[in-house]
Amino acid sequence: MATLALRNLVKRYDKTEVLHGIDLEVADGEFVVFVGPSGCGKSTTLRMIAGLEEVTQGTIEIGGRVVNNLEPKDRDIAMVFQNYAIYPHMTVRKNIGFGLRTAKMTKLEKSARLEEVAAILDMTDLLERKPSQLSGGQRQRVAIGRAMVRDPAVFLFDEPLSNLDAQLRTQMRLEIKKLHQRVGNTIVFVTHDQVEAMTMADRIVIMKDGHIQQVGTPAEVYHSPANAFVARFIGAPSMNMLPATAKDGAISIAGGAPLDLARAPDGVLNVGVRPDDLVLTGGVPILTGRVTVQEPLGNETLIYVDAGAQAGGEVIAKADGRTPPAVGSTVTLHADPGALHLFDATTGVTIR
Amino acid sequence: MYKSLTIRQKQIVWAWGFLALPVLFYTVIRFYPTGNAILISFQNWNLLGTRTWAGFDNYIKLFNDPVFWKVFANTFKYLLIGTPLSLLISFIIAYHLDQLRFMHGFLRMLYFLPFMTSAVAMAWVWRWFYQPVPTGLFNNLLASVGIGQIAFLNSTTNALPAILAPAIWAGLGFQIIIFMAGLRSIPKSYYEAARIDGVGWWTILWEITLPLLKPTIVFIVVFSSIGFLRIFDHVFNMTTNNPGGPLNSTKPLVLMIYDTAFSSFDMGYAAAQTVVLFTVLLVVSLVQLRILRDK
Repeated sequence: MATLALRNLVKRYDKTEVLHGIDLEVADGEFVVFVGPSGCGKSTTLRMIAGLEEVTQGTIEIGGRVVNNLEPKDRDIAMVFQNYAIYPHMTVRKNIGFGLRTAKMTKLEKSARLEEVAAILDMTDLLERKPSQLSGGQRQRVAIGRAMVRDPAVFLFDEPLSNLDAQLRTQMRLEIKKLHQRVGNTIVFVTHDQVEAMTMADRIVIMKDGHIQQVGTPAEVYHSPANAFVARFIGAPSMNMLPATAKDGAISIAGGAPLDLARAPDGVLNVGVRPDDLVLTGGVPILTGRVTVQEPLGNETLIYVDAGAQAGGEVIAKADGRTPPAVGSTVTLHADPGALHLFDATTGVTIR
Repeated sequence: MYKSLTIRQKQIVWAWGFLALPVLFYTVIRFYPTGNAILISFQNWNLLGTRTWAGFDNYIKLFNDPVFWKVFANTFKYLLIGTPLSLLISFIIAYHLDQLRFMHGFLRMLYFLPFMTSAVAMAWVWRWFYQPVPTGLFNNLLASVGIGQIAFLNSTTNALPAILAPAIWAGLGFQIIIFMAGLRSIPKSYYEAARIDGVGWWTILWEITLPLLKPTIVFIVVFSSIGFLRIFDHVFNMTTNNPGGPLNSTKPLVLMIYDTAFSSFDMGYAAAQTVVLFTVLLVVSLVQLRILRDK
C-alpha cells in the first residue's frame, strides 16, 4: 500500500499539450475517482501513472519513490482495463495467474494466492472456465482478480464499468467499493459517469481540457462546486444556469423581480440552481413559465418549464410525484435563497 | 399465389431465384466434369477414340509406376517445405511490419507486388536469375565474391528448392496481409496488460499473440497447402525445355497429369491421377482443419 503523488504533470503529443500540469496527492488507502467528459485527460493521466504513456514533464511518485522512468511492472501497480483485457484462450485460472508470472514465489505460494483471490471474488467454481463461458460481470471480476493477485500498492481502473449494462454496473460499483473497504489498497478509478464518481469515491478529481477543475469529497463537489463546469457536471439532472444582474445586494434573475441577496456582487452573473432545489412551493419565487414536459420518476416528477428567452430557455424543476402540474399549465418556481449558487458570468468561478 | 406465402417462404423463393444460376453453372462446369473424371479414371480413352472399360487398371498402373511415386514425393516436398517456410517468413515480416510506422504502406505494397504479378512472368525472370555466368544474376553475384557456380535448375537436388523459392515469394504478400489483419484484430490492451504484468516478449508472442492468431494461421495453412499441392505454373515455366526435369526431380502431380493427358493422351490414366490428387487435397485439408480446430 502506498501514497501516490502527481507533481506538475504535463503530457504533450508532439506539440499538442493534453495535460497542463496536474498536481494531486493521494493518501494511502484512498479511493480517488477521476471524472470528466471524454478528452479531458483523465485516461491519459491514469495511463501515465501505469507507465503506459511517457511523462513529458513533472513527476509521478508512488510510495514516495519517483517512478517516471520505471517500467510498468516495476511500479507496483495493477490495472483493470475497460475491455477487461482478459485472454479468451486461457481459463480463468490462467488469466488470474498471468499476473503472477514474474512474481518471485514458489508454485505452491502462487496457487495459494490465486485460490485466496478467487475466494475473495467468489469465483472459485469458475476457475476452470474460459472467458466466453462467463457473464459480463464475471469477466469484470476476473480482470479485477488478475490485478489483485499482484497485491499492488495502487490499483488503477480505466472505465471498467462502461461495458456493463445499467443494472450490472450498479452491482459492480457496490462490489468494488466493498472490495476496497476489505483490502484497503489505494485506488485510482477513471470514469466519465458522475454517478459512479459520487457513489464510489473518497475524493473526486474533476477534470476538463487537461486541467483539474476541483478536487474534493463527493459532498464538497456537489454542495460547493468550484465553478460552473463542476456545478453542471456533478448531479443529474444538471444544475439550471440562469442569467442574472445584481445591484446593491439585490439580484434580478432572468429579468424577474429583485430579490434580496447580500452576497451577490454588483454586475452580471449566473445563478445556478439544482432541479432538486427548484420547487413549486417554499422559499422565494424565482421565475414563472409554462410546463412543456413531465418526466415521472415515481416519488417525484421532473418538470421542464419554458421560462422564456431571458432565462435561457428551459429549466428543470422538481414536483410532487402524485400531483404534478399538467403540461401546458403555468407555474411559478421557488427556491431557498441559500440554495442558489452564484457564478462569475465570464470566468464561471463560484462567487461565495 | 406468391402473395399468400409467408415472409420466410418469400425469402426462400428469392434466395433460390438468385442461387439457381450458380447452382446450374456449378453442376455443368464443376460437378459433371468431376463425376466424369472419376468415371474416366476407370476407362481407357485417348480423347478421340471410344472409351473402353478398364476397371482398376489405371490405379494399378499408377501404383506400380515409379514416376508416380517420385512425383508424389515431389508434391509433398513442395507442401512440407513450402507451407511451413512461407508461414514462418510471412509471420516474421508481418509481425515486424505491424510495429513499423515509417514507410509502412510502401513496404506492404512491395511485399504484395509479387502476388499480383503473373506467375509465368515471374517464373521466367527467376529462371534468368538462375542461369550460369554470364547471364544469371545469382551466379554472377557468386562469381564476383569468388564462389563457384551453382547449377540451380540443372541439378536434381537444387532444382526443386530453386523453383520453390519464387513460389513461396509469390504467395508471401497475400499471407502477410492476412497476418497483419489478424495482428491488428488483437486488442492493444492485451499487450498493455501483459506489460503491466511484466512478462517477456517471448511469453507475449507464444502465449498471447500466436494463440489469438490461430484462426488466421488455420486459414493461411489450408490456403497455402492447397496452393503448394497444386503447384504447376512455376515448375512448367522454369523447366519448359524438359518439364518437371531434370529427371523428374521437380515434377509435381499436376504437371504429371498434364503430361499424361495432353502429351500422351492417356485420359484414363490422367483421370486416375486427378482422382488421387483430389483425394490428397481433401485429406490434407481435412486433417489440417481437424488438428488446428479449437478444442
